[in-house]
Amino acid sequence: MSTVAQYIFSGLAIGGIYALVALGFHIMWSAARAVNFAHGDTLMIGGLMAAYLVASGWSLVLACGLAILAGGAFGFVLERLAVRPFAGQANSIGWMLTTIAVGIMVESLATIETQGYALPLPSPGVAGSVQVFGAGLYPQELVIPVIAVIAMAGLRLLQRHTLIGRAMQAVAHNKNAAALMGIDVNLVIAFSFALASLTGAAAGVLIAPVVQASATMGVLPGLKGFAVAIMGGITSAPGVVLTGLAYGVIEKFVEGYISTAAREIVGFSLMIVVLLVFPQGLFGKREVAKV
Amino acid sequence: MSRLHAIGFLLLAAILVAVPLASGNEYELRLFMLFLIYAIIAVGLNVLVGLAGLVSLGQAGLFALGSYTGAIVATRLGFDMISSGLIAAIVAGLFGVLLAYPTVRVRGVYLAVVTIAFGLIVENVAIEWQSLTGGTTGITSIPAPNAFGVALSGYAYYGVLAVSLFLLVLATHHLKNSRYGRAMLAIAQSETAARALGLNPTALRTLAFVVAAVTSGIAGTYYAFLNAYISPDIFTFTDSVRFLLMVILGGAASTFGPVIGAYILTYLPEYLQEFAVWQKFAYGALLLVVMFVLPRGIMGSLGALAARLRPAAKAAPLEAGLPAEVTLAPDASRPHAELVARDLTVRFGGLTALASASLRVKPGEIHALIGPNGAGKSTFVNTISGFYRPTSGACELDGVQLTGLSSHEIARVGLARTFQNTELFGEMTVLENVMVGYQQRLGYGIAAAVLHTPAMRREETRCRRTAAGLLAFVGLEAYANEQARFLPFGLQRRLEIARALAAGPRLLLLDEPAAGLTTQEIDALEAMIRKIAGLGVSVLLIEHHVELIMAVADTVTVLDYGQVIASDTPSVVQADPRVVEAYFGTSGHGATAEASA
Amino acid sequence: MSSKGLMRSQLLAATVAFGLLSSVAHAQQQPCIGNSAAVTGPAAFSGQAIKMGAQIAIDEINEAGGVLGQKLRLVQYDDAGAPPRGVDNTRRIALADKCIAVLGGFHSTVAVAQVEPVHEIGIPYMGVWAANTKAVENGRDPNFMFRVSAKDKWVARFLVDEALKVSKDGKIAFFYENTGWGNGALPDIKAAMAARGKELVAAETFNWNDQDMSPQVIRARDAGAEVVMIWSLDREGNQVLRAMDKIGYKPAVIGAWGISGNLGELAGPLANGVRVMQTYSFLTPQSETGKKMLATLAAKYGLNDPSAIKAASGIADAYDAVYILADAIKIAGAFDWAKVQKALYEVNRDGLVAPYKPAFDKSDPERNDALLPENYLLAVWHDGKLIPFKGSPYDK
Repeated sequence: MSTVAQYIFSGLAIGGIYALVALGFHIMWSAARAVNFAHGDTLMIGGLMAAYLVASGWSLVLACGLAILAGGAFGFVLERLAVRPFAGQANSIGWMLTTIAVGIMVESLATIETQGYALPLPSPGVAGSVQVFGAGLYPQELVIPVIAVIAMAGLRLLQRHTLIGRAMQAVAHNKNAAALMGIDVNLVIAFSFALASLTGAAAGVLIAPVVQASATMGVLPGLKGFAVAIMGGITSAPGVVLTGLAYGVIEKFVEGYISTAAREIVGFSLMIVVLLVFPQGLFGKREVAKV
Repeated sequence: MSRLHAIGFLLLAAILVAVPLASGNEYELRLFMLFLIYAIIAVGLNVLVGLAGLVSLGQAGLFALGSYTGAIVATRLGFDMISSGLIAAIVAGLFGVLLAYPTVRVRGVYLAVVTIAFGLIVENVAIEWQSLTGGTTGITSIPAPNAFGVALSGYAYYGVLAVSLFLLVLATHHLKNSRYGRAMLAIAQSETAARALGLNPTALRTLAFVVAAVTSGIAGTYYAFLNAYISPDIFTFTDSVRFLLMVILGGAASTFGPVIGAYILTYLPEYLQEFAVWQKFAYGALLLVVMFVLPRGIMGSLGALAARLRPAAKAAPLEAGLPAEVTLAPDASRPHAELVARDLTVRFGGLTALASASLRVKPGEIHALIGPNGAGKSTFVNTISGFYRPTSGACELDGVQLTGLSSHEIARVGLARTFQNTELFGEMTVLENVMVGYQQRLGYGIAAAVLHTPAMRREETRCRRTAAGLLAFVGLEAYANEQARFLPFGLQRRLEIARALAAGPRLLLLDEPAAGLTTQEIDALEAMIRKIAGLGVSVLLIEHHVELIMAVADTVTVLDYGQVIASDTPSVVQADPRVVEAYFGTSGHGATAEASA
Repeated sequence: MSSKGLMRSQLLAATVAFGLLSSVAHAQQQPCIGNSAAVTGPAAFSGQAIKMGAQIAIDEINEAGGVLGQKLRLVQYDDAGAPPRGVDNTRRIALADKCIAVLGGFHSTVAVAQVEPVHEIGIPYMGVWAANTKAVENGRDPNFMFRVSAKDKWVARFLVDEALKVSKDGKIAFFYENTGWGNGALPDIKAAMAARGKELVAAETFNWNDQDMSPQVIRARDAGAEVVMIWSLDREGNQVLRAMDKIGYKPAVIGAWGISGNLGELAGPLANGVRVMQTYSFLTPQSETGKKMLATLAAKYGLNDPSAIKAASGIADAYDAVYILADAIKIAGAFDWAKVQKALYEVNRDGLVAPYKPAFDKSDPERNDALLPENYLLAVWHDGKLIPFKGSPYDK
């Protein structure tokens, strides 16, 4: 029983990270029909920057805040430099490769800075463990999935009740129509990328105390976050968050009851199967082809 | 083969012969052999990316499959390199088919994710299936290259690789300039139009995936024999990106581009070593610069430059066209086609777009389908041409049941169509567009295409001449070598007609051909429709332009709210009060439909 | 065109088309030692440590007049941890740069892959880090693979002995990273256990960058393990410690040298008492050579605090490896691969890490390794620092 609880809670913690990353992909995709393949590196920027700032004497809160802002700025700049010039093209190769290129550069810089070592990010959330239904967890891990759900709800509030949020929805629905209504589409897209990167960097700051900050900390969450977004239906925010949480839990159960080694194989095979059955993802909207 | 391509092949051959003579030491030769292997992957991948327009970010997975299969049968079963390579090619090819299957449902970035997942699965299986793959330690002591029991020296093995690459480049060049290559390009540019011309997208995408998979599989075996050692970390996502980049950097869809891309990306790491810790950063920066400076790749940019400098060079003289009369000569046994639609009902959710609509296009006639906006005309057209499935009802062409067939199968039965919003293959030339239309009448197979056999060339010539004749028929012969997307709108409509005619249809379905045309153009269109009908092709015309309808139609059917409200000769229909009401909302207004429609 | 002319024209075409190619090879003016190591990627620190150690040794040798009247030179190529790049680098070092020896790198998979080209070419290879047993004990004769570093087989025995001191019943779990190094060590550990008549109660694996190890730790706890042996790097070692902490599981932890970098920094107090095997530490009382080395590290690389040197073993092993190679060249009297390979068995020297008397022994296939189990050090993490186990608060 406690083992099952352990898997569920540990799974929710890592799933919360997938959910936050996937939410970022959802925000970018909705606005631009393009994403940032270096989104995993946004996570790394957040985590690593916070670790460095804390190491050089900043307070934890301030360091994390600044790190998240830096991540947001990264997304904003990257959209302008690497995504927008290729957004109009028929295939996605352009922005895929440019964002991958930026990711390589950022990761390389981080590796040079850290020499490949991981850095700690001390946080009260990992100072001591707590017991929940017999499962041992850090408070930090309990917080992560909650934040993922809050972020999703916050996004909904933003879309419902603010001007920029409504503009985001309009752009997601129909770019040309939105432009005709006087919405600055480019601005909305840039804002969306910045917002997505804020959530990505926040995910990095949240996970860094648990997994340590390192140059490669974003690679797998980035890839899996994207897989989760596609699997959950990239057009649906609740869909990707739910799928993210579920994917984390499934991973833990595979690790627990099959083997650690089978995790990636089972996870990615599951994704392919889901896509074959639900081409638009589990919760995604089906687009009717018009001739 | 054009003269430039001939020079290219000569140059490639000369380089492949010269390098072993010029290389200063074994290391240089090996590095060049590594390039040859990567080039084989890139050239194969180019068929998928450049021609079929599909992005694969999992090519390293197929490369790994080939490598492991080759290495395992060589070390465990003692197979020589040739038979190992064959088995590897088959295994990788089967996985290519498997990978192509998702393209039925997903494309674009979704497909990219599927391929990424595939690559990661292969990598992880290679790590975990220790009894077979040796796990993280990999497979060591792969025998030295050998064929039929004879060990190959370094130079002999180089010869095998060089010949393989040369033949592969030649084969893909031939494939590109065959009906298969044209069909792949067409599908990538407009799947809708391609399907309407009888092309089977799934089959062609599967073919593209298989080509890319088989070449990667063979390259994998070559690699295993060259390195004598393989392990899972050779086949990572980063490598998949690099393979894709080879194609993009060199120039997707070009013959020699992938070879150049592979060359640069094989040698680049050697030079980036200078940057020590900064080399990955430099690689990323370079990739970024390439995407901005050469978005169409080296060959693509060179081609664009050449076209700007010497625009005349593109206009190769057109061969004498076959007269359209010959092309469209009716089949003597079944002279005219008859289309019958019975009680077609189409519902989208709660909306009924067509309610029990019936229509009969009599053999050889010009039949017009009219109706106010939203009457269900487009739904009707898309249903009989197989793009929508009817909720109930059926239609048949000359007694052949169309309902339930997919659109490309319907096209093969003899129904050709044009589109309300023109659906041309924009990046192909005007002539090539029409040649795609002729596709179904070409009989040669993939082997003939790759080998460029005389029979294949004869068929191709006939295809080109037919296309030229049809261009003359619609008055576009002067534009034959222009890219279709550069044509003015009115000419694009005519090109669509020529393309549809190239399929040799028995029934031609024209979806609002007059929309957006000038008065003169409409007059020309009218004459053209008459001529087409005169050649024995039945015509179903969907149109708003009443003047045109009155002038050409033998029968007019009127749709309103998804129902057929009248079907008779133009003059009778014109006087029908229900038709008048449908158009004006009130009966007895006195005016004819002509004024508004 | 005559056949001669044709050939010339082809060569011309080749030179034009592949002008890049010829510049790869440049003739060697002085004897060099080539190193293929990870300079980029997650183990970038290793390439930099090897370069430090090797370069310091080469500079010292050159200041003392070089070898056979010539100055030594270091060439370093990045393999990013990928075996094929390691293989290419080996060939480049041997065939293009014509170096006298290859200095090994961090990754065991690369070292194993290098066995083939090293013997095909016949160039001496000197490992300074990767500890995989089979890389050096490869069954070849003559064997060109040498090593100044730990060997998993011996490390396994060393650590199993330590573990059995803690758990007399032999309730030991083995945690290893899912890489060539970790997987390669599994049979060594099993053999070492079997030699003591024991069997592992659990063997658990994980990947680099895994975030949570609770399933593995739960299984080890449920199997009743009193000692956990870890074959991983600091990052994953930290994850194992934290997963144990979360479920309130407190076995003794003993690790191979992968967790000797910055585990104390990452895991904080959780690392206290974790025992680690090392080949060298700058924190013990230093020999004269060691003091000189520390002075150079401070002067040249600004490493003023010995405890800030994270990869002590890597630096020290590379330093000794270069000196041993230089000695062998002097004994051989020539820059000749085969002669140097033979001469390596005759080297006797008092090194930084250990006394090498002799460095290698041709009569014993296990002795292409210069560092012997008695040279291994047991260290322990204490308040963020790795201190010698002997005399530590944990030495009871």
